[in-house]
Amino acid sequence: MSVVNYGTREITCKIVYYGPGRSGKTTNLQHVYSQLPEDRKGKMVSLATETDRTLFFDFLPLDLGTISGFATRFQLYTVPGQVYYAATRKLVLQGVDGVVFVADSQSRQLAENIESLQDLHANLADEGFDPRTIPLVMQYNKRDLPAGEISPIEELDETLNFRGVPYFAASAINGAGVFETLRSIASMVLSRLSAPAVKES
Amino acid sequence: MAADSRKGEEDDGGEFADFMADISQEIAQRVESLATAPKAPSEVSKGTPVPADGGLILEWENVADRMIEDMR
Repeated sequence: MSVVNYGTREITCKIVYYGPGRSGKTTNLQHVYSQLPEDRKGKMVSLATETDRTLFFDFLPLDLGTISGFATRFQLYTVPGQVYYAATRKLVLQGVDGVVFVADSQSRQLAENIESLQDLHANLADEGFDPRTIPLVMQYNKRDLPAGEISPIEELDETLNFRGVPYFAASAINGAGVFETLRSIASMVLSRLSAPAVKES
Repeated sequence: MAADSRKGEEDDGGEFADFMADISQEIAQRVESLATAPKAPSEVSKGTPVPADGGLILEWENVADRMIEDMR
């Protein structure tokens, strides 16, 4: 995806929230949406099942207005975490500029986190991206749960963050860590404005 | 590099304003650095260079004769 367009003077960044089912990806977007001032609130599109789990994807367009003469838009997407929506996850990853991996901090969810991370890497590679270099931020969500139910941050990071990318403790349901995560991935994506060719040829 | 965890409801919408401020500054810096970066070779004018020493051919009528003479 072209990140900066000098012809139309637009900057568009696509950020995808990835992670296992029920890790809090949609909750991240819902918090961002809740914080938007009324005049910037577009429409958050969510396609959910009857049990409120993401069926296809969530889409939140963030119109940041004109910055330095460029109309700036961030497009935030989530993928469905359930294993059987593999095709949808690949589709959503097309043209991605940056990824937030939302891990579930619950100890019993560690295997699902690892499986989802492996799925992310495989899908990025399938879509022609280099999983070792694409902008990535880790978010360890649900830190509000009792200490006995969640893994220590250090343990999660040791297991999941082998690239050593920035990571954030979060409780998306309370809003904690959500904007810190978004700011970090946005910064990483923007730092690559001069090098938009993230796809391998 | 773990982030500090602030409760979202405490600052009631200020989070987006802070985010905007940071991002605006970052974009402004990036746009400025890109604008001052040297142009890529493909963007450089490809017009025919004219030698500064006046390498213009003024005596066209003699050129063909000289070329034939040089080839002999």
